[in-house]
Amino acid sequence: MSANRKSISPAYLALEPYYLPLGDEIELFTAAYGARLPVLLKGPTGCGKTRFIEYMTWRLYREERRVDIELPLVTISCHEDLTATDMVGRFLLKGDETVWSDGPLTKAVRSGAICYLDEIVEARKDTTVLIHSLTDHRRLLPIDKTGELLAAHENFLLVISYNPGYQSVLKDLKTSTRQRFVSLTFDYPEREQEAVIIAHESGVELEIAQRLAVIGEKVRHLREHGFEEGVSTRLLAYTGELINNGIAARRAADIAIVNAVSDDGHVQQAIADIVDAVLP
Amino acid sequence: MIQLNEVEASLGLFAEGIAGRYFHLKPSSEFASRRLQVAQDSAAMTNDTLYLPEVLETGERSAYRVLVMQQLGVREFGTLRFSIAVARERIAALADPPVEPGIRVADFELMFRHFEHPGAVAALFDLFEGARIDANVLHHYPGMTKHFADYHAVLLEAQPPRAVDTFSALVDTSRCYLRGAPRTSLDAMDTSGSLSEAIELLDRMRSPGADVYDAAAAAIQVYERCSWLLPQWIENEPLAKPVDSPVNWLQREARLTDWKEELTDMDGMILSVEMLQDESVDALQSDNAGDGDIREEAIDLRSLIDERDMLARRIDMERSAIRDALGENRSGTRSYRYDEWDYLSHRYLPRWCRLFEERLAPAEEADLGALKKVVETHRHPVQRQLEYIKPLAFQRTYRVADGDELDFNALIQARQDVRAGKTPDDRVYSRRERVHRDVCAAFLVDLSASTDDPIEPLAPLPTTSSGDKIPNMRDPFSDDDVYSPDYDPQEEPRRRIIDVQRESVLVMSAALEQLGDSYGIYGFSGYGRDCVEFFIAKEPNEPFTQRTLAAIAGMKPKRSTRMGPAIRHATTKLLSSGNALKVLLIISDGFPQDSDYGPERGEHEYGVQDTAKALSEAHEKGIETFCVTVDRSGNDYLKRMCQESRYMVIEEIEDLPEALSKVYQALTG
Repeated sequence: MSANRKSISPAYLALEPYYLPLGDEIELFTAAYGARLPVLLKGPTGCGKTRFIEYMTWRLYREERRVDIELPLVTISCHEDLTATDMVGRFLLKGDETVWSDGPLTKAVRSGAICYLDEIVEARKDTTVLIHSLTDHRRLLPIDKTGELLAAHENFLLVISYNPGYQSVLKDLKTSTRQRFVSLTFDYPEREQEAVIIAHESGVELEIAQRLAVIGEKVRHLREHGFEEGVSTRLLAYTGELINNGIAARRAADIAIVNAVSDDGHVQQAIADIVDAVLP
Repeated sequence: MIQLNEVEASLGLFAEGIAGRYFHLKPSSEFASRRLQVAQDSAAMTNDTLYLPEVLETGERSAYRVLVMQQLGVREFGTLRFSIAVARERIAALADPPVEPGIRVADFELMFRHFEHPGAVAALFDLFEGARIDANVLHHYPGMTKHFADYHAVLLEAQPPRAVDTFSALVDTSRCYLRGAPRTSLDAMDTSGSLSEAIELLDRMRSPGADVYDAAAAAIQVYERCSWLLPQWIENEPLAKPVDSPVNWLQREARLTDWKEELTDMDGMILSVEMLQDESVDALQSDNAGDGDIREEAIDLRSLIDERDMLARRIDMERSAIRDALGENRSGTRSYRYDEWDYLSHRYLPRWCRLFEERLAPAEEADLGALKKVVETHRHPVQRQLEYIKPLAFQRTYRVADGDELDFNALIQARQDVRAGKTPDDRVYSRRERVHRDVCAAFLVDLSASTDDPIEPLAPLPTTSSGDKIPNMRDPFSDDDVYSPDYDPQEEPRRRIIDVQRESVLVMSAALEQLGDSYGIYGFSGYGRDCVEFFIAKEPNEPFTQRTLAAIAGMKPKRSTRMGPAIRHATTKLLSSGNALKVLLIISDGFPQDSDYGPERGEHEYGVQDTAKALSEAHEKGIETFCVTVDRSGNDYLKRMCQESRYMVIEEIEDLPEALSKVYQALTG
């Protein structure tokens, strides 16, 4: 990758991602990384977990130490069809040959990147067991298909995110997995902080951002009605971006919040009424 | 014209979103209290309910939101934080308190009683505090401005300003100003000069910093301004006594929190004095010192304990008075309304029943041991039954484009095709796929009072020639001790229908945990159409925990059996689960009955027909239903409620766990 392309690629993390600290999470993560303790980020969708890990990777790999690595953060978005093979690697057919191809986890273990397994509960349970040997003192990744026992690079760290708000019991994280990580809990920011984040992310005026933060707070009171996590900071920022791009505030909230959060007619009507009450 | 019915569902959610807590919504006509009255066309709030007019004479749905915001504003913007002590510090006219009329009176009323015409001050305070609340609502929720204006215009048209020649005209016309009547038109109606003063003070209520004490001060200022007119104004007006309102009682409830804190502080003080005394006794024993100090402390301690006991009694009395005024606090429940089928007139009675949904209170820890034992006893036979149902598992799928393994058969064929000059199929992988059992079951247990009945004793067991009883091998609850010569039937605890129902559900739960199906456990009872109770022991999305066990143990016989709304509510829950196969299993001990379930008490056909309708509604919505009854006469009415293949009458009540598992297997296997 050319130097120019590297600098514009978000994966390269050349530029500082915006992150507003809400507590002591930066110090805690830095300490955990120093001791190479695997980290579990717990919190609802769209509250800033991914942004936090991007920011921390930038801070640890680009600001504090200038680590020469092309992709310092390898993110794997977990889903229910994600298998161990998808993470570790597989034999691919190339012409008449089979060629081994490292999966994203193996790549991160080899290169010393931070591997971030986003929404780990979505992955199959057998997949999560795979990471056990990487998350204790051994720091090893066994690749059974090639017979390789891969020792992790000294910079490597495994970070997983987990959303306890998910409905299904089947999607609860196994205790044996959970207890291998130090856990940082995230939640949606307080109204004032959320307004600052929305204003920064969307470029909308602070006064409008404050209104959007109030909407967020009120809509989250309805968490139990079919949408477990309320409206995310991300959706509020989207609304701000639409407003910033010339869409009327109510219409922007309509498509980014009301319709995005729930399909239930009554819930949609109630959220639309809250939006209507809060926006000037 | 807008009806509450039309907007109730979304309005309730709107209120919950704004307030951050759930409120029941009811028509003001349903307000029932021995101490208070709420006019049918006005709104009010209690600790758990928002009362709103059943109909509003406006075309705008938003008018209901205006009323909701005004009520919620009372909580959000500090009306209930009013304290007479602070008011006396801030308002000169209140500096000298009259003879205390007793402590168990709302602080508002203590303020009003400073004056000769408390009712007049109360009415003025209501006016100014209302103006302040409206202003705060509009400041924090600017989008409501238009809706307030629209609704106020309707009210203004219905009640235009009038000449200020009575006290109520002063209050009403001041209110017209708040509703948008132009100042110039009002000035002409002011003969006493008190209206213009009221208007100026109303404007001050709109400043963001105004608080409840400013509203009180404004009310008192206007009262004093027009006090010389009051004697002639009040001749025909009941201003002597303030009208008691729910707000007074909510303030008293808020004040209870302070009293409770006071009680905790006193407990702490008593504890420290007791500890001090113990130390003094020790010191006395060691130093042989005089006992004068100890006696003094003992006296202090006694008076402290007396004071604490008095406060505790006062809290209890206050709490019971609040319950009397505002009704039973059902804050921990949610309410829903359901139609009822009236078979006599062949039509639905819309939103006829109010169903309260609440969590089952967990039973004491001591009850759980017996239930755990039951699970151990019955688990295996039931589980064996359910083993016929295919469990959750993985299955390898071959010939897919992407997978964790190469599919060698597909691969070899693809290579052959290449050699033969054909286009190869690139689906040469295999992968493990999860086989889902997409099932959600709901167990609906009848918790009517009759489930408290003992199980009918079985026929006496035949005896052998030697006189020993033959063990009943079919009895899953049999115990070797029963057949021992020492056995005394009197010592056996009396088993009731509820016990067996509870145990059956528990055994099924344990089995379903193994199967991986999601399931909910609910109970229902209630009394009358306004109070159908629906109890949750476990929701399908919750894991089975110790708490669930305690909740099942907490299933107790309660009141009546209004089945229709309970089935409709369970149906709603199943539909929202989103699972492909939905099963509703109803476990009851008799026919549906309730105090007003039908035109005549004791007539069961109405209840049977409504239940039948509720079951057929569930069926039409894709839910498999099944009724299991332990009532031996169940055949008489069950065949009128559901198809023959959809019910089962259990002859021997002890067979219930096994019967349930067979039914479950048949429905979902």
